[in-house]
Amino acid sequence: MINDEYFLAALRLAAGNDPIPSHVSAAARDVYGLRVPRAVTATPAARAAAGPDVRDPDGCHLVRFVADGLTFDLEVTVGDGLIDVAGQVCPHPGEDAVIDVKTPHLTLTRHIARNGDFAATGLPPGWLSVVCHRPGRAPVQTRWVRIRP
Amino acid sequence: MPEPREPAELVTAAADGDRTAWDELETRYGPRMWAVARASGLSPSDAADAVQGSWLRLLQHLHTLRDPAKVGGWLMTTVRREAHAFLRKRHDVSPFDHDVLTLEAVDDPDPASAVLEADGRRLLWKQVSALHEPCRTLIQLVAIDLGNRQMAARLGMPVGSVGPTKARCLEKLRTLISSQETAQ
Repeated sequence: MINDEYFLAALRLAAGNDPIPSHVSAAARDVYGLRVPRAVTATPAARAAAGPDVRDPDGCHLVRFVADGLTFDLEVTVGDGLIDVAGQVCPHPGEDAVIDVKTPHLTLTRHIARNGDFAATGLPPGWLSVVCHRPGRAPVQTRWVRIRP
Repeated sequence: MPEPREPAELVTAAADGDRTAWDELETRYGPRMWAVARASGLSPSDAADAVQGSWLRLLQHLHTLRDPAKVGGWLMTTVRREAHAFLRKRHDVSPFDHDVLTLEAVDDPDPASAVLEADGRRLLWKQVSALHEPCRTLIQLVAIDLGNRQMAARLGMPVGSVGPTKARCLEKLRTLISSQETAQ
């Protein structure tokens, strides 16, 4: 049985209607520039008894990612159509480690406080990923997640 | 003109830093991914996000795809799942897309996506031409995304009949394709 989506997609392709817009193709090609060679991907993990996304008493949303002995806790708030990210990486990955908060259009590099905290503000909504660069070790990158305004 | 590279070769080359391989993957599969996202019912802007998200997923899986030769099917299944996650999030207050968060990468691409290959599309269109009216015209109008009201006017039928007729015609087409597949 062919899924309806594939079936209709095949008809649409055959009809030549609604071709892929050039900006969508260009964005797909630009994705390659976001490659982090040798990165280990951190996947969402449950926080205590809850799921990977938890709302805290202040209304912020928290999400946890784990890989290669590193845990990222990200707190996302949305205001005026822009995204603020406050995070903590645990255990502290070392003094020379830095965090990149990446979106398809913008990468902000942040130093990590002694307690593992970092923050980035005024990000555009859409796809987001956080990378921890550790000297002498493979970078750890969270899975890309989509943040809505 | 160099021979087009095999999908597995493109995946390996892209994983090793060859940008032209990535561009070739996009040229080959981008239009199909767009068609799947739009056929799943996403608006153009959500479809653009779903397609971009699927490429981001591939970027993180270039080294770990179980069968790089099936990267086309992997991308189609991924964009379809992203589209479903987008559609489900509409009543969700969290800024995170829960389904996107928990979505695992697909190990086994959906074999039904083969209908999107050039051969599959040719066969599909051939079967559409074999349908009787009004199904033949109706399916052609579905393919160009005409609304029910315009379809009713073109087909000379009441607007209320378009939906049920469309469902019957799609079912006939499905049956034709299934019998063709069984005969092969």
